[in-house]
Amino acid sequence: MELKEIKEIKEIIDLMKKNGLSVFEIEKEGFRLKIQRAVPDETTTSAPPAAPSSPKGATIPAEPTRAQRAAAETKALLKDIVSPMVGTFYRAGSPEAGPFVDVGKTVNEDSVVCIIEAMKVMNEIKAETSGVIAEVVAENGKPVQFGQVLFRVR
Amino acid sequence: MFEKILIANRGEIALRVIRACKELGIRTLAVYSEADVDSLHVQLADESICIGAAPSSESYLKIDRIMSAAEIGDVDAIHPGYGFLAENPHFAEVCESCNIKFIGPSSRAMQAMGDKNSARGFARKAGVPVTPGSDGIVESEQDAVKIAKKIGYPVMIKAAAGGGGHGMRVAHNEPSLMAAFHGARHEAEKAFGNGDVYIEKFILNPHHIEFQIVADSHGHIVHLGERDCSIQRRNQKVIEECPSPLMTPGLRKKMGNIAVKLAKSVGYENAGTIEFLVDQQRHFYFIEMNTRIQVEHTITEEVYGCDLVKEQIRIAAGQPLSPHIAHATPRLHAIQCRINAEDPEKDFQPSPGRIDFYYAPGGHGVRIDSHVYTGYSVPPYYDSMIAKIITVGATRINAIDRMRRALGEYYITGIKTTVPFHAAMMRSAEFRDGNYDTGFVERVMSSGKFELVAPATQLRE
Repeated sequence: MELKEIKEIKEIIDLMKKNGLSVFEIEKEGFRLKIQRAVPDETTTSAPPAAPSSPKGATIPAEPTRAQRAAAETKALLKDIVSPMVGTFYRAGSPEAGPFVDVGKTVNEDSVVCIIEAMKVMNEIKAETSGVIAEVVAENGKPVQFGQVLFRVR
Repeated sequence: MFEKILIANRGEIALRVIRACKELGIRTLAVYSEADVDSLHVQLADESICIGAAPSSESYLKIDRIMSAAEIGDVDAIHPGYGFLAENPHFAEVCESCNIKFIGPSSRAMQAMGDKNSARGFARKAGVPVTPGSDGIVESEQDAVKIAKKIGYPVMIKAAAGGGGHGMRVAHNEPSLMAAFHGARHEAEKAFGNGDVYIEKFILNPHHIEFQIVADSHGHIVHLGERDCSIQRRNQKVIEECPSPLMTPGLRKKMGNIAVKLAKSVGYENAGTIEFLVDQQRHFYFIEMNTRIQVEHTITEEVYGCDLVKEQIRIAAGQPLSPHIAHATPRLHAIQCRINAEDPEKDFQPSPGRIDFYYAPGGHGVRIDSHVYTGYSVPPYYDSMIAKIITVGATRINAIDRMRRALGEYYITGIKTTVPFHAAMMRSAEFRDGNYDTGFVERVMSSGKFELVAPATQLRE
């Protein structure tokens, strides 16, 4: 990349910071640039909702089993990582490499969890949440659409 | 012929394209926003891919996501419908560079006619009459006076960077020209940050008459007559008819030939429409060209007995113009009413929401192009048109009376629609006389004598 272009990109980033912008995208003939800033404190840091508990003294018709309650608790704590684009989902950076994440792996907002390939461009997808991978939902090598769930994070 | 087509649109036109594809044995891929999950075009397409959140800017206008979907879906061609990216030369170019056929003109032809100034330039070169006007920006008071005198009053001063009716002033004579000139410049500066203005002849209450062009990739171009789209409300077409009550066979031949000449001069391919303003003395002026299929293509289809969307697909696949299009002649008269999810009693404010019950009219000579159904929720993010109703008749009055009959059976509850407005229009004496222009709707509605007509039938749900 030319020195001039790097300077211009630096200026864009400064402008973005100054104005509190998180995404900048420009598309012209044969040229496309997207700059995305990791804006701090965008995700809420409140505690995940507690599993519903019965009010004192009230009777519940069908008492959920311990296993069901545990599953409900888990479900309520899971966050979805969804696809921000249309493309093909890959779990690893290349056919020989190991997957970026697996069930049990701890991730934070900046962790790369997968690649979505769109129009021959390999896009690294960040978790944008923190926790532990609970489920790998999307299938390796299969197309994904916008909003499709890729992973579930506890 | 194509094996699979991606429809880069939504609503009734997406459904229209899917229908044409199904009849041609072509597989369909629908792309949709999160708000359109239950849309009919998504349900009827062979495959569908969600491309973004509800706002158009996050979905239907996202070129990269649409091309991604095209790649995943392994399509041969993309039909852009109307609106959205249909007249975006960059999108057409991206398709071209990805070897996916864009069903429409080349990006070059689109660019040539898309820019109003450029289009006027091509028109002038082709000897097509354009609205008399200044050759460019009018810089000084003296120039304004000179140009206005040359064009002849009344004149309109328009912002070069303008739109939406802002930065426009009409001057009926020289004494009022200065106020209009400075007023327009001031408003343009405020609204667009650019006070540049140009001057055009102001045509009072013109007819808006447009010609349908169809051109193949082998140099054959024909016109399929005209449509009269003068019935507009706030510059939005609401009722269209084919043929125009103002037209004569001689004028049709003259304007049609000119339309073909202009399309030829830019090497146009596929379907397109050339728009004219026609004054009370039947002088006509080119205003612009729409390089896409239009909402009102339906009435031309009914009168000329053709399927324009199928023809678009055939042309894009390299086939020559179908004989029945090359030699089409008009028979019958057709009218279209655009049904919007708006409340005509409350100044046409949008009325999105769930349609509790939907019954569309039928019978001889009635055509409905619509994507809505009982239980469907009209989303608030897009234009409010929910259906087009087209009636055909042997004569103009037959078509009008048939529309009146059909609107009386058009039963939609849960949201407000413009059905009662159209029903009233079909009863208007001036409309029935064919005596209207672009100022008609405003005149009639502010006359105090305009009464909405609710459907006569109260169906038991």
